Amino acid sequence: MSDTVSAEVTIRASNVTKRFSDFTAVEDLSFDVRAGRVFGFLGPNGAGKTTTIRMIVGITAPDQGTVELNGERISYRLQNRIGYLPEERGLYKKMRIVDQLRYFAALKGVGTAEADKRIDEWLGRMQLSEWKRKRTTDLSKGMQQKIQFIATVLHDPEVLILDEPFSGLDPINVEFLMDVIDEYKTADKTIIFSTHLMETAERLCKDIILINKARKVLGGSLREIKESYGKNLVALRGSNFGPLLGDRTLVSKVVSNADDIEVQLANGVSSGILLKKLVDAGSSLTKFEEIEPSLNDIFIERVKGTDE
Amino acid sequence: MNKFLAVVKHEYRKVVLKWSFLIGTLLMPFIAILISLVPLIIFSIKSGPTRIAVADQTGNVLARLQKNLSAERMMEKAKAATSEQFKNIPASQQDKMRNNAAQFIQDFVIEPVATTGKSESELRSQVLEQINRGELDAYLIIPSDIEDPNAKFEFRSRKGSDFISNDTFTDALNDAVRSQRLSDAHIDEAKLASLNERINLDSKGLDESGVEKDNSAVFAASFAIGLMIYVTLAIYGQAIMGAVVEEKETRIAEILFSSARPFELMMGKLVGVGLAGLTQFSIWLGTAVTVITVAAFQTDLGSILGSLPAISPLMIALFLGFFLVGFFLYASIFALIGSMVTTVQEGGQFAFPPILIMLAAFYFCFAVIRDPNSSLSFWVSIAPFMAPITMPVRILAEMPPYWQIGLSFLTNIAAIAALVWFASRVYRVGMLMYGKRATIPEMLKWIRQA
Repeated sequence: MSDTVSAEVTIRASNVTKRFSDFTAVEDLSFDVRAGRVFGFLGPNGAGKTTTIRMIVGITAPDQGTVELNGERISYRLQNRIGYLPEERGLYKKMRIVDQLRYFAALKGVGTAEADKRIDEWLGRMQLSEWKRKRTTDLSKGMQQKIQFIATVLHDPEVLILDEPFSGLDPINVEFLMDVIDEYKTADKTIIFSTHLMETAERLCKDIILINKARKVLGGSLREIKESYGKNLVALRGSNFGPLLGDRTLVSKVVSNADDIEVQLANGVSSGILLKKLVDAGSSLTKFEEIEPSLNDIFIERVKGTDE
Repeated sequence: MNKFLAVVKHEYRKVVLKWSFLIGTLLMPFIAILISLVPLIIFSIKSGPTRIAVADQTGNVLARLQKNLSAERMMEKAKAATSEQFKNIPASQQDKMRNNAAQFIQDFVIEPVATTGKSESELRSQVLEQINRGELDAYLIIPSDIEDPNAKFEFRSRKGSDFISNDTFTDALNDAVRSQRLSDAHIDEAKLASLNERINLDSKGLDESGVEKDNSAVFAASFAIGLMIYVTLAIYGQAIMGAVVEEKETRIAEILFSSARPFELMMGKLVGVGLAGLTQFSIWLGTAVTVITVAAFQTDLGSILGSLPAISPLMIALFLGFFLVGFFLYASIFALIGSMVTTVQEGGQFAFPPILIMLAAFYFCFAVIRDPNSSLSFWVSIAPFMAPITMPVRILAEMPPYWQIGLSFLTNIAAIAALVWFASRVYRVGMLMYGKRATIPEMLKWIRQA
């Protein structure tokens, strides 16, 4: 599988720093986001994710460095090309759904006729058509989140920024929204997806950046990152392993799971060496598999590393 | 610009399409009329006639009392009690008033009680018996020595709390006894009455051109315009604050700020809600002017209403102008407060100072009405924050020189410019600050940073 980065850069952050009076929210951050790929913006709470996103959306400006969309510095003029679903989000409580959606569309420069067409389309797709004339307070929380998503994509933005889009959603709606995001992802759309949930990031993102304490910790293609971390974990099932797994020059750590054993290879030991030694020792193997570290493992390891 | 207009339209519709707006706009005039009519209606509901036994031990007072309680006599008294301006109303109007007033007159049925040969206690037990049987409501025993200032008139009534009847009756009795005393002293009652007559002071104001105006009508109209502006400013100012807090509380601000400039958003809100307020204010003002004009031509009330100050189109334009100026002054303060606080309740505390200034301006209106040309009136109608309420009152009381109106607009528009500059800086930071209320030093820092 060729996963070399080929698509063109749409959003480029160069040496971005943002300070608030007494602390630095983002420090010297640089990254590229490519069209047609979902970009995962990862980090623990308070790492500086929301501040960075606000700079991409043009709500605040960096103190140093630049954020560009297709080579043009972010400003109010570019806001119509970006759709932003904030982490903390809401709707007007007493207003009809259709009126709010029209207003949000108008603020992004979509005319009423075009907006109405798209509103009907999206409400149909989200199975919310009969709620069009209802007020926010009549809707369940999950429905409200779907409406918020519609408000984000009504103007058909080329850059879609979703900050923790699944928080508070039930599993069925998470699945549903993931499918919608997947459909939205075409060659000329850029999706930035911010989360602290590594499982979802792993499923959706091709490229990631991991930040902690205002700084970049890790970045690049998810595949490459995993490969660079991989190759030292093996899952085993079988019998007659003998004393081999107790040999700390061969295996640095052994974890027994319900139906297999996970071993971490010692430095300089490849999986081939372990396999050969096991076979030589007369073990009977029903499973021998190199496993990749999960993004969660990488996340924890790197965040712990920078915290210390 | 399109986004600005989208915000204006959104905010305008949000206010105008609410039930409360419709009710407030359309029903307010009706409610005002109703409130002024209700007392009339209530007092015109008559209770049954009061039946009073009168034991007159002098033999002279009863006839006078009966005369005083007759319908014609009561009419005259009612007329005398009405205010001075009703004196000059045309004859047809007087007839109408007589008919109306007749409804207010309480009916009294006087039952003379023969007193000859009976002691007071015999009389009392006789009438009490009749009252207990329900044949009478009250009794009055008139002593024989009415010249004695300490003479005791005994009045007992089952309807003791019917104050209207009691007052009427007391007045009638007082008059009857007084005239009997005069006649006993051989003093000509008519002569005394004419000597006692109050002087007739013809009191009217003069405007610049020397045209007479009726002061009480000017007072009423000026008070009304002051109150109308004060109420609308207070209502719409707080509406702005509520809308700002809602957008902050629900975090809609984050979406809005990713779509348009904070300045566009804030100004769009002010203009949208301001136009809604202007709509309501115009409807009220228009209705008032129309009703007065129509009434003046169609009815006999013309001569009364004619004494109201003439409201020219220029005045209406100035009123609307000052309303708008006042709106932007206070609305930007309320928007600023809304963006600083986290809940509407918290905003309520901060809203107190601006409301207090409005209230002070409203109280200054009385001084302005009393003397529109004093230096106090000049200063309060020029001062920012005060002028939007006091200047229209002053214009109605007496048109000030145009340069003063111009100066008033100028100082207040300058104040608006400063406030909007200030508020928009606080707004763009405050709207994205969650969780805690901003302190004043923080606010000042945002302004320096912005």
